[in-house]
Amino acid sequence: MQQEYRSKSYSHIIRIILILIAVVGVGVVVRAMVMPKSFGEFGHYRGDAVVDEINRPIRNGTNASCLVCHPYIRKMHMEGVHKTVSCEFCHGPMADHVKDDKVIAHLPKKQGEEIKILCLRCHNQIIRARPKESIKMISMPKHLEDQKVRIDHNCNQCHNVHAPLMWVNQAKAIVGAGEDSK
Amino acid sequence: MMDIIQKEMSRDRRAFIKNVLGGTIAGSLLLVIPAGAMDMGNIPEQIPGMRDDSGTFISKKRKFAFIVDITRCIGCGSCCVADKNEYQVPDGMYRTWVERYVIDDEDNVYVDSPNGGLDGYQQPRKDIPHPVRDTFFVPKLCNMCEHPSCVQVCPVGATFQTEDGFVLIDDKRCVACGYCVQACPYSVRFINPKTKTADKCTWCYHRVRKGLLPACVNVCPTQARKFGDLNDKESEVYKILHQPHVVSVLKPGMGNKPSLHYVGLRREVV
Repeated sequence: MQQEYRSKSYSHIIRIILILIAVVGVGVVVRAMVMPKSFGEFGHYRGDAVVDEINRPIRNGTNASCLVCHPYIRKMHMEGVHKTVSCEFCHGPMADHVKDDKVIAHLPKKQGEEIKILCLRCHNQIIRARPKESIKMISMPKHLEDQKVRIDHNCNQCHNVHAPLMWVNQAKAIVGAGEDSK
Repeated sequence: MMDIIQKEMSRDRRAFIKNVLGGTIAGSLLLVIPAGAMDMGNIPEQIPGMRDDSGTFISKKRKFAFIVDITRCIGCGSCCVADKNEYQVPDGMYRTWVERYVIDDEDNVYVDSPNGGLDGYQQPRKDIPHPVRDTFFVPKLCNMCEHPSCVQVCPVGATFQTEDGFVLIDDKRCVACGYCVQACPYSVRFINPKTKTADKCTWCYHRVRKGLLPACVNVCPTQARKFGDLNDKESEVYKILHQPHVVSVLKPGMGNKPSLHYVGLRREVV
């Protein structure tokens, strides 16, 4: 009597164990299917994500990379006080210009009023907050009045944008050193 | 005799013409095939020895840190422009931005950042009733915390800290739930409307791995942003952190231990 009862109880335990094994099995299979291949390689993340990030295309070059192909600009730019200014700040990223050693498009040159806006991003005295010793500040249009030029003059009429003091110094040399003419 | 000379001369002429023709063709080919033009792969290295470091992660010998010197920042926004160009960040989203702090004589602090500093600061603030005592700029970017709260909260393992200390985002895993955006004490994260995933500054991990400085550091005209190896005793960041400077991090009380340090950080910013 007791024996019979016991055998019945075994069968339902076996059934539960079988179901549990099946659930675990399905779980393992689904996990393997759903989980990305390199997940957990280095931690709780997809290991290949690091590789993806490394392979992100570089779009900005460096000044050195731009000036390799522009030797004339290099001479001017590197000798002037603007040598720390990035080419790509004014002209745009290198990736829009060169791809696989080929020129694919020409970067825009800033013209007219755009130049003035770019200059004043750094040199506008009215903003304050800028260390005087590291960068020269001017306020417009006071600077034009002080230099006795027409009020509608653009910055690049006196200052070469690559070497801002180049023309000024040349003019000084012609007029005579020491004389304060723009 | 004459005959031989004549023959010799005519052969020479032929050889000469051949040479000239060959030279011309070769020369014109040189013009068509760009020789030694700059490609992204052969830009001169800015971080010495970085290109030999070819493992999955940067070797343990290096420990990178970022320093922003706010006494040098002139608020030109070069960094923001470079950053937008590098990642083609959608308008209205900023991986890095520059804040302007204005303190008036009554010690009120006004902070603004029109378009994240992307257009620079062309106009002074006109809405301040008292005379201005002090003005300065504070560039902001990812703090690359040693204990990043964004990584802790991510439910799908999409944001993670690499073994070399960079906190990155896997945009194939990210479900844009936005937990990390809320968890970040420095508000550097946003949901990128283009990729529909969380996005943030990575200190230009892809550039650093290829030996280049982060785009913003590379363009900064006053060297207000510095990036370098703390284990290299010759690097500028090492020198700054080991010399008397007013160096601080943002929100030190949060316990995130940022690797981004600020030189000359003011009480008003922290």
